[in-house]
Amino acid sequence: MIETAPIFLTLELAFLTTIILFFLSIPLARWISNKKNIFKTFAEVIVSLPLVLPPTVIGFYLLLAFSPTNSFGKFLENYFDVRLAFSFGGLLIGSVIYSLPFMVHPILSGLTSLPDSLEEASYSLGKTKTQTLLSVLLPNIKPSLLTGIVLTFAHTIGEFGVVLMIGGNIPGKTNVASIAVYDEVEALNYHNANIYAAVLIAISVTILFLLYFSNRKLQEVKIL
Amino acid sequence: MTYFSLQKRLHAADGILSLDVKCEIEDAAFISLYGASGAGKTSLLRMLAGFMQPDNGMIKVNDEVWFDSENKINIVPQRRSVGFVFQDYALFPNMNVEENILFALGKNDSKQIIEELLEMTGLRGLRNKKIQMLSGGQKQRVALARAVARKPKLLLLDEPLSAIDNEMRSNLQQTLLSIHSHYKVTAIIVSHDINEIVKLTSKTIHLKNGIIEEYAPPNEIFLNNSRAQNSLKGLFLSAEKNGSMYEVLLLTGEQVIKINCNEPDAKDLQKGDEIEVSFKGAPAFLRKL
Amino acid sequence: MKRRLVKFLIPFLLFHPASLFAQQQKITVAVAANMQYAFNELKAEFEKKYQVNVNGVIGASGNLTRQIMQGAPFDVFISADTKYPESIYSKGFAAEKPKVYARGALVLWTTKKELPLNGHLRFLLSDDIKSIAIANPKIAPYGTAAEILLKKVGLFDMLKSKLVYGESISQTTQFIGTGNADIGFTAKAVVLSNQMKNKGRWIELNSKNYPPIFQSAVLLRYGAKNNSVNAKKFYQFLFSENAKDIYKKYGYIN
Repeated sequence: MIETAPIFLTLELAFLTTIILFFLSIPLARWISNKKNIFKTFAEVIVSLPLVLPPTVIGFYLLLAFSPTNSFGKFLENYFDVRLAFSFGGLLIGSVIYSLPFMVHPILSGLTSLPDSLEEASYSLGKTKTQTLLSVLLPNIKPSLLTGIVLTFAHTIGEFGVVLMIGGNIPGKTNVASIAVYDEVEALNYHNANIYAAVLIAISVTILFLLYFSNRKLQEVKIL
Repeated sequence: MTYFSLQKRLHAADGILSLDVKCEIEDAAFISLYGASGAGKTSLLRMLAGFMQPDNGMIKVNDEVWFDSENKINIVPQRRSVGFVFQDYALFPNMNVEENILFALGKNDSKQIIEELLEMTGLRGLRNKKIQMLSGGQKQRVALARAVARKPKLLLLDEPLSAIDNEMRSNLQQTLLSIHSHYKVTAIIVSHDINEIVKLTSKTIHLKNGIIEEYAPPNEIFLNNSRAQNSLKGLFLSAEKNGSMYEVLLLTGEQVIKINCNEPDAKDLQKGDEIEVSFKGAPAFLRKL
Repeated sequence: MKRRLVKFLIPFLLFHPASLFAQQQKITVAVAANMQYAFNELKAEFEKKYQVNVNGVIGASGNLTRQIMQGAPFDVFISADTKYPESIYSKGFAAEKPKVYARGALVLWTTKKELPLNGHLRFLLSDDIKSIAIANPKIAPYGTAAEILLKKVGLFDMLKSKLVYGESISQTTQFIGTGNADIGFTAKAVVLSNQMKNKGRWIELNSKNYPPIFQSAVLLRYGAKNNSVNAKKFYQFLFSENAKDIYKKYGYIN
């Protein structure tokens, strides 16, 4: 039969990636949505890069970056005694980079679609930028936040290319479900591959269904 | 006393408009800002609020310097004691009526003023309604209450009633007046409606092509400028012979009135022509309704 | 008359360009990725000798096998193991049973200059070595061989936590080559290849300590049916003395 560790590992990776990206992307999207200048356009390009680059390319360059023979990898090993290749931490970093645009774009699009007057009204009432973000802006883009969370989570579950390059397929640490499916197929164990795939699909469908259902509830309130 | 002297190059649809204005407003005055579309009215208001930065100049409100380009002072809107009523209301969709107004207050402020405002704007019964369920007039009242909740030194209103129907309009104008007199805020309202300006405000800034053409009581500015007294301007509608006179229907302001005139004054007139009617000689009669 | 000829010729040319070159014969060979270096020389020799064009399709053994079983038009399959050719035969896509053409040799390879490298392998226990790359035993015979070797010399249990698995010999090589794995087990053919020849140091491991890494080739049903003469010719060439010399040169055992 199949092992359950890959499934749990995949879920763990997806949850942590989504949480990290959620808290990272809000200030980033906010910064980009303010007055535009050349730096912000540059930032938008960089955020969108993982969409365009093949995951294997991202993974490959991460592998080079993590290598103890290169400056970044060497620095990590000397100061923190940590090697990111073949570790869950390395996968997390790869995931965060790979799914970054999926969290930032919906939030950014939500923020820019809010009328400026909403923000200005809040400022005129004496609220700081942070208070405005937390009390006025974010509560009014809930569907966008939800979209970002859903897309990021689903995208990470399916992540293959990046993990393939830097994971090392270590049981209990980096052998996520997508790699497990691949291995079973390569080993011609199509039966096992089907089981892994079925479990992943079932989990993904359930999560997506729950999240979209909640989104409809939110929309209903808004339309009234 | 509110004083401002501002210069700004504005980019309008048809070129660049150089805004150059200077004005002094008495404490607790209610003044209006009038001018053609694109004259710079909204920009002026936004600069006073701090949403837009002037190129040059100074804004001083009750001895507080809000902006001084020479000394590089530019207080952000959050630290200006200003209230702003937006044309699109700008109410927070995630809060109900009471919460929108409550949002204006700080943690330690007394909630007493909320009750006062809800009463004055007639919103008591709607306090828990989601703002999406309000009519335009109700929304504007919430916006007004929210803007004055902090008892700001300067209240700015950007065409607040332009989207409201006539009947609701006069109600709201009343509300505006009572709020203004109760809280004694200095208020500037942008309006195209001469009725409104005359009813509500004591002085009018007439902005034309970026400069203040006139700054005077509205009665003076909008006084019909003919040499004759006892005259009024209107649009000719129709004329009917009645004995030796003509019965003329005339549209003036928002009223259609019927006047007896002599021939041949009424001949050769087309519907829609602008005409002037004067009552020479005997003074007119007045009667309160 | 001329017009008739042209009307016939153009569609004919568009759809049967090969017919114009009917003189030139060709075969298509599916080749496992890590055999590609040896294959290039096999191809050159064969073409010189028989004037038959050899078209190589390089890929991962698993992928190629899958394609063959979906009816891909390959004449011969040169694999880097025996499992895939066997499954092709059992599923009925082969003309005859697969045959072993060479044996792979396992080496231990590192690009880290300061690491000691000796045949006793106990040095692998040192704390200086944090990661050891091997190919995934589930899908790569070199990985299975390395695992068995480690078990045989009694080091597997102690080294298990340091093991890092590459999905293929290529990826395993990449882990070692980029320095992400301190050291690892790979194929001799890899360290002798042009790309890796002068990188790092390696030692060949005692073939008694691991099961033979048999590499089989198989004549495919498609080839036997559509290209019988040339496909058979090439298939037999794989077992000739000429071919055996090439295998040796590229790091395979006979």
